[in-house]
Amino acid sequence: MVDIQFLGLLNATLQAATLLFIASLGELITEKSGILNLGVEGMISIGAVAGFMTAVNTNNIFLAIVVGILSSSIFASIHAIVTVILKQDQTVSGLILTILGLAVSSLLGKNYVGRKLETKLESIFSIENPSNVLEVFLNQNIIFYLAIIFTITISYILKNTMFGTRFQAVGEDSKAADSMGLNVTKTQFIATCIGGAFAGLSGVYLTLSYVPYWTDNMTAGRGWIALALVIFGGWKPYRTALGALLFGFLEALVPRLQTYGFELNPYIVKIAPYVITILVLVLLTIYKGGKTGAPKNIGISFFRENR
Amino acid sequence: MNKYTLSKRQVVNELSTFYSFLAGFLIALIIGSVILLIQDKSPIDTFSLMFKLSIGSVNSLSSSLNKATPLILAGLGIAIINTVKLWNIGAEGQIFMGAIGVNLIYINFQLTSSTSFIFLLLVSAFVGGAICILIPAVAKVLFGVNEIITTLLTNYIVIGLTIYLVNGPWKDPGSLNFPAAAYVGKEVYLPTIFGKLSYGFLICIFFTAFAHYLKNSSVFGYEMRIAGGSEMTAIYAGINAKQKAFFAMLIGGGFAGLAGGIELLSQTHRVSTGISQGFGYTAIIVAAITGMRPTGIFLVGSLFGALSIGGSVIQTIGVSTYIADIIQVSTLFGALVIQFFFNYQLKRADDG
Repeated sequence: MVDIQFLGLLNATLQAATLLFIASLGELITEKSGILNLGVEGMISIGAVAGFMTAVNTNNIFLAIVVGILSSSIFASIHAIVTVILKQDQTVSGLILTILGLAVSSLLGKNYVGRKLETKLESIFSIENPSNVLEVFLNQNIIFYLAIIFTITISYILKNTMFGTRFQAVGEDSKAADSMGLNVTKTQFIATCIGGAFAGLSGVYLTLSYVPYWTDNMTAGRGWIALALVIFGGWKPYRTALGALLFGFLEALVPRLQTYGFELNPYIVKIAPYVITILVLVLLTIYKGGKTGAPKNIGISFFRENR
Repeated sequence: MNKYTLSKRQVVNELSTFYSFLAGFLIALIIGSVILLIQDKSPIDTFSLMFKLSIGSVNSLSSSLNKATPLILAGLGIAIINTVKLWNIGAEGQIFMGAIGVNLIYINFQLTSSTSFIFLLLVSAFVGGAICILIPAVAKVLFGVNEIITTLLTNYIVIGLTIYLVNGPWKDPGSLNFPAAAYVGKEVYLPTIFGKLSYGFLICIFFTAFAHYLKNSSVFGYEMRIAGGSEMTAIYAGINAKQKAFFAMLIGGGFAGLAGGIELLSQTHRVSTGISQGFGYTAIIVAAITGMRPTGIFLVGSLFGALSIGGSVIQTIGVSTYIADIIQVSTLFGALVIQFFFNYQLKRADDG
């Protein structure tokens, strides 16, 4: 007989990790193409509100997921236009995408605050009160399994296929990739939109399953932790997944510490994830001695001089 | 085949940032109008009301400039840090930390002369902001940790700390439904110049001039620019790039902290989560839009202050305050698009 508290902790860990991981996987793809998008927080927020609004109005979960993904992807294309086509500063554009995303989602979601979801995203094998570890894993919803499939396929594509190698060449040395005949602009544009799509899926997971309601600023910095996870994972899908599990575990553990007999101030507990993220980033950077594994061209807009 | 190719302009118009800003603002007004039309509100009525209520009278104008003060100061801090090519996304947290610094000194010390006490409190606000950025600065300089993420995360930490303080140690029992610290005494309120305009705005003018001098005319500013440029040049010139980056970050953090101190002493008069309404984030837009120029930050900050005041009063006619946010963000996006046409030109390709 496995401890029921442990199962609850495991379940919460998997859910928190899925939410973070999907967004970081999208950002990983975008950054591999050489584009830095700091707008993850805003994109998650857009996906979250768009998915929630669709779900409330149509009661169609599948449609809600699709709308959430598409709207974040379209939203990310603003960043793609500004940085890839118009070659403006990626840091500025990404930051503004976050601010815009939070403002637009608050504007859209104004009438949806406090609304209840008729049908939320249920797990595939709905098991009531899971009693062992396997059942906890089986009791997750479709997005969790998608995350696993994405990790395996994306890692495989990047490492083992010609397409993946070419794709990474764009982010490592876009000038060389360009002279090889690869379409840098198109690759980066699509990669940015894919990053947005993943952030949208993460947002949908947030409002349709993780906390099935909508309030302003409910992303609560998760987009930024997702960005940190990409660095943490050294731009590798499996390591990023590991990082997400670690952070998911911490997010799940800290509020539960009280039940394990620790007396903690609830206000201090709330800031713990952010303190831990900074701490981990610092320790990791010291450990790696500055070699982070970042794509070499990240943050530099590609511009082929007139030839 | 593409008939047109893109090329970089050799000479970029000196005023291009300014023109881009104007065009961006126009684009933003159009976007704002479209959103208003969708919501069945008249754009002309709404904008003229915003105009009237933000700069139409002495009182509303002084409210706007009071609102602009934290935006400008935090924006200047961001611009100073950007001289070494680093980003400060933590201005929001530094503003809170400045206010916390003021309250900490206020409840522990008491000076008989209120002028020197106010001065001491403003200094502690500056120090508070600098302390807030200390960990990201050390992590960046010593270990090369990405400062964008660390400064951003400190926002959540400091706001969490504020919530803890106003619900715990500093909780004012008299404040029932809104957790806040006790009000500071009237003797440390920043006086007003005329109308509602606080002396904070005068401090803000002074610091704009100081930031301009620091960035463009001082030896330190020159060294910062080299430190932020090429690593090899800095080594060759004998400039300790890491040291310059470190001090630039502390000074920039201090500017934002001062914004929080002034906000407390002139507007809110107590520590609560209402110390900043996203000033630190809007300041990023202000700084980016002006290409990090202190005088530009002063002007755009004043305009955005007026926009925020205008945005908050149009709530009464049922328009969301987010319209002001969206206009501000769209201005920057619009300006970025226009800036592209100043930096690049489309040429007809010879070989077609």
